[in-house]
This record gives sequence, structure tokens and C-alpha cells, in this order.
Amino acid sequence: MSEPRTLGSAALVRLVAAREISARIRDKNFIISSVVILVLLIGTLGLQVALGSGGGQTRIGVVGDAATLRPVLEAQGKALDVAVDVQALDDEAAARAAITDGDVDGVLIADGGQQPELLVEQTASGSLQAVVQGAVAQLSVAEQLAAVGIASLDVPELTVTAIDPGADQDGQRVVVAIIGIGVLYGLLILFGQFVAQGVVEEKSSRVVELLLATMRPWQLLAGKIVGLGLLGLAQIVVIAAVGVTGALAFDLVDIPGDLIGTAVSVVAWFVLGYAFYASIFAVAASLVSRQEDLGTVVMPTTLVLVVAFVIGIQASADPGGALAVITSYVPGLSPLVMPVRQAAGDVALWEMALAVVLMLVAIGLIVRLGGRVYAGALLRTSGKTKLREALKAERV
Amino acid sequence: MLDFDGLRKSFGDNHVLDGVGFTVAPGSMFGFVGSNGAGKTTTMRIAMGLVRADAGEVRWHGRPLDPEARRRVGYMPEERGLYPKMKVGEQITYFARLHGLGAAEAARASEEWVERLGLGERRGDQVEKLSLGNQQRVQLAAALVSRPEVLILDEPFSGLDPIGVDSLAEALLDQCRRGVPVVFSSHQLELVERLCDSVGILARGRMVATGTVEELRRREAGRLLRVVVPDAPPHWADRLPGVRVVSEQAGDTLLELADGTDDQAVLAAALRTGRVTHFAWQQPTLVELFREAVAAPKAVEVAA
Ligand SMILES: Nc1ncnc2c1ncn2[C@@H]1O[C@H](COP(=O)(O)OP(=O)(O)O)[C@@H](O)[C@H]1O
Ligand SMILES: [Mg+2]
Repeated sequence: MSEPRTLGSAALVRLVAAREISARIRDKNFIISSVVILVLLIGTLGLQVALGSGGGQTRIGVVGDAATLRPVLEAQGKALDVAVDVQALDDEAAARAAITDGDVDGVLIADGGQQPELLVEQTASGSLQAVVQGAVAQLSVAEQLAAVGIASLDVPELTVTAIDPGADQDGQRVVVAIIGIGVLYGLLILFGQFVAQGVVEEKSSRVVELLLATMRPWQLLAGKIVGLGLLGLAQIVVIAAVGVTGALAFDLVDIPGDLIGTAVSVVAWFVLGYAFYASIFAVAASLVSRQEDLGTVVMPTTLVLVVAFVIGIQASADPGGALAVITSYVPGLSPLVMPVRQAAGDVALWEMALAVVLMLVAIGLIVRLGGRVYAGALLRTSGKTKLREALKAERV
Repeated sequence: MLDFDGLRKSFGDNHVLDGVGFTVAPGSMFGFVGSNGAGKTTTMRIAMGLVRADAGEVRWHGRPLDPEARRRVGYMPEERGLYPKMKVGEQITYFARLHGLGAAEAARASEEWVERLGLGERRGDQVEKLSLGNQQRVQLAAALVSRPEVLILDEPFSGLDPIGVDSLAEALLDQCRRGVPVVFSSHQLELVERLCDSVGILARGRMVATGTVEELRRREAGRLLRVVVPDAPPHWADRLPGVRVVSEQAGDTLLELADGTDDQAVLAAALRTGRVTHFAWQQPTLVELFREAVAAPKAVEVAA
């Protein structure tokens, strides 16, 4: 048997982190929440796909002069913002078969002199009828003009000027950012709770005294935060990967590059946001000794998170507004606001850097001050400890 | 040697420890006794680095106990604590690793202790599902699994049934045989008397008595006299000069004689009451020594 070795801080932190991870991945609540998040995500993707295909194409069969009709029908479809797919069919029998088989939504029968007819299975959808009616009318006007000897009408062409050519894409970016901060918010709350519950569990079960006989309070705190943080990071990376892959695979977005960019920035902000909130949650939790008292001490922090989320949503409507701009620098709020601003428009590099630096400074302060509170409060395993008492308490 | 040297500690105005010191030799068992609130737990927590002493230090092999040295100390806190939702085997392995054992070795040691303490069947159960007695065994395993060089146990016998007491006592004696100094606090003085090589009595922030039970006895010997006089009226000895009645029950009387008091005069007085069925110097039990030690200055105060 080899002699026991001395353990450095890194080794201790690693041991604590490993225990946190292995305890958590077997925890029912964690498993359920992970499954729920993934199911919601896949459900959302599925819903998008279903809705998307509904408004997609109108397939029109043509019996008659398909060569003439096709461009006219397509032009009509474009004008009405309906994608039109034109198929030439031989005769009415073929048309009926195509409709019953669901190959086309309707068939325009325009062969020869009689009135053009639109065959459908049951009823013609508004867009189908509009496209076909428009096309038929246009052709008939052209024919009648030709009959009286006018080959073409001199109609002034309308020039269209786009004020914001990327508006649609910006909208998509913002939607992606909102989904991103939604996930971010949910995971920050979830993992903040996990950290808080873990701290209280150690106090309420009194195991903390045994732990502190082998390590410093900060090592215990760091191990807990790092362990759960890695788990949270893994979860948000999986969510981002599934979301991005799904969106790209089902062709839900026109901006794959921006989608990935936003996903990466959400993941990066998770790291900063988690370090910030997990530390505060842990310190707050160290002040109480029973799970029942946890609610009251973590409430203020949870409220800050909720406010940050609401501002983030608001920022998506008005990303350039004063509220969004200012709060995107405020530590604690920035993780839920900055990704939206980044997605919506151009955030200068210095702005990003400023937000990140302020956040890092805040985390440093919390870890220092919070660490003192945590160390002072940890061995007071009866009742609630006041913040001031914990700061004054001796630390060993 | 495990040295507790000149420990002082105040919590605000509450001066709990006022120069506590004692020494425990390797392979010997030290019983740490004192009334509730005397400061036993505080002393042990200082040794484990959980409370900072105002003065004094605890040394092992002449070097102050630092965090690294403490890793070689097995500790059982007064308030027992384990992760309630962690499995027995994994929990013991975890504490072995925190005390510096490698992964494979920790698993092996955990396995061994689980078997040794009769927890084999419960290895995969969460600790909270175990009976209190079995939880105590896991607690003991957590303290012993890393083959500690020193054991510091705060009231390890409290809450155990007689069988549990016996098996814990056996486990501790076993550690002593390995050369480990064992310090434990307890209120079960017969147990301390039976198990310990030396005893320390803590009162009013100081060690009022330290030494082997024999030494303490010798210090007190020749002072307590037991006289059984079945026919004597109550308070028969109250007015004898130089004699204090420690206890009296239906003629079974325990007397403390001041220095220079003639025991034969006491015998004569006893004979005057009728039959004397027992007359002998008393070997004080630890309980009596303890009462004596803890009560003494009060008597002085009263006299002053
Ligand atoms: N953290 C603390 N803060 C204030 N007073 C304390 C603290 N710990 C112990 N005490 C006080 O110190 C005294 C000794 O307590 P303790 O060491 O637990 O005694 P014992 O273990 O001998 O019963 C008690 O009066 C107790 O109230
Ligand atoms: Mg105690």
C-alpha cells in the first residue's frame, strides 16, 4: 500500500467537482429538467417545421398551353407572395388523377375556346384561386388587346427601394437571440438553485464540518461551482448544438452564420453569468441551515435575474434604446441583454469588451467578499446567520 | 506525541479555554471529560482547524498541526454529518480521497471498512436509508478509512446501544494497538475508566486533573472512607470533627477526612451507633474523581 499523498488545491477542487457532477447526474430533478428542456427544444423545432410547410407552395396543374400559362402563373404567385409550382398535364383525366393523388392542389383547364376552369378536390384555397384568377385575367386582357391591335401597353414600371434590406434577417437574428437568452435564463436559475441547494444540504446535514477538516472553505466553494458549472455548460452546449443543427437541417433560418454566432455568444455569456449568479446563490445559501429557509435568501438574486430577462426581451424590441444600451454594461444584467443587442445590430468591439471586463470585475469582487461570508457562515449550522455576522465571524 | 499546548479561546466575553494543555502518547487512549459547555468540542475543533485559538497550538511529532498534517487525522465531529443521499460505499471512498488516498486505493479501503463494520449488504444504499446505528458506523468508517495517524473523536459513544459501544471500543483499541494516539470525549465515565490509559478533566477552562486513572486515584486516595452502619440514626456523622459527609444512604456513608483526622476516632464513633458491617478506605471511581475535580473550587468559594 502506498502512503497517502498530499493534496494540492487543484486536486481538492477537482475531487469536490467530480462528486458534485456524479451526484447531480443521478439526481431525478436534474434528469427530468434536462429531458424537459430537450423535448421543448425539439418540439419547438418540429412546430416551426410544421408551420413552415403549411404556408409553402401552391402546386398548380395546367391542361392546355402550359408554356404560356406557366410564366404568368408564376408571376402572379410572386406578386401575391405565394410560391407556385406549375405542372403540365395531358388531359382532364390526368388532372383528376393528379388531384386525387394529392400531386397538385388544383388544375387549370384552359384548352381552346371554352371558359377556363379550375378543378380542385373540395375547395380552392384563397391563394390558389387568387393566383389562377389573376393569371387568367391577365392573359385574357392581353389577348383582347392583341385582338384590337395593341401589342403591348406602355405601363410605367414601379421601382421598389428597400429601406432596410436586412430587416427580415434582423428579425430572425433577434428571435434566435430571444430563444438564446430564454435558455440562458432558465439554466442560470436552474443551476443557481442546484448550487444553493448543495450548499444548504452540506450545512443541514452537518457534513460540512467533516469537509472543512480536510479543506478550506474556498476550495469547497470553488469545487461546487466548477462541478455544477461544467454540467451546466455541457447542457447549454448540447442545447445550442441541437437547436442550431435542427434549425439548419430543417432550413428554418436564412442566416446560418449569424445563428451560429449568436449561439456561441449565448454560450460564452452563460459562462460569465453562471460564475456571477452561482457565487451569489452559494453565498446567500450559506447563511441558512435548512432548505425551507432557502427561498427567502435567494429571492433577491432570483428577482435580479427575472428583471434582467425582462430587459433582455424588451431590448429585442428596441435594441438601440437607452435602457438596452445601459443595461448591456451592467454586471448581472449584461448576460441577458448583450446577446440581444449583438444579434440585433452592430455592437462595437469596445462595448463588448467593456461589458465583459465589468462583469469579470464584479465576479472577482463577489468571490472575494462572498468567500468571506461563506467561510464565516458555514460552521454556523443552527438557524440563520446575518450577513454582517458572517462577515465579522472568524475564519479559519 | 500529540501535544495540546496552552490553548486559549474566548467567544466575546465568554472565556471558554484558559490555557488547556495535555499530551497523548502514540498508541494510548486519552479520555477527555468535562461538564457540558466545558470546552471539549472547542478544544477538538481547534485541533482540526475549525476554530482559531487565541493562543496556544496543537502539535503532532513536535510540529504544529497544519492542513497537510490534519489530512492524517481521523475526526468525528460531535454533530455527526454525512451526505444523506450519497451511497455508503461511495461516501467512504470520497472521504478516503479527501484524506489523500488515490482512487484505486480509496475504493479498496472503503470496501474493506464496509465489510469490517458489517455494512456489506448496505454498501449501495443511501446513507439516509440506514438506521441510526448503521449511520454511526459509516461515520466511524469515514474517520478510519484513510489509516489516520491520529484520531480525534468528539463523543463517539453517544447514542450507541451496548453492542455498538462494545464494537466501537474494540475498533478504538485496535487503532491504539496500531500505535495511533486516540483522543475522545465522553460523558460515560465508566467507559472512559475502562478504556483509557489517561484521562483529562476539563473545568473552568483548564485541565483540573490529568493523568492515568491510577494516578488520579492515588492523588485522592486516603481521603474517602466508606462506613456502613445499618442501625445508625440519620446524620450520625455530621458533627464529627474533620469529617465531611459525601453521601449517606440508609447507614451506607461515604466520608471525606481532612488531613490529620484520625480514622480510628471515626470507627469509634461508628461503633457507638451499633453494628459496623463495613469500614474501609474507598477507591474512588472516576465519577467521584470527576465530581470532586469539577466541584472543588466552588467549595473553596463557599468557604471564602
Ligand atoms: N461558535 C461559537 N460561538 C460562541 N460561543 C461558542 C461557540 N462554540 C462554543 N461556544 C461556547 O463555548 C462553550 C464551550 O462549548 P463546547 O466546546 O461545545 O463545550 P463541550 O463540548 O465541552 O460541551 C459553551 O459555553 C458554548 O456556548
Ligand atoms: Mg461538546
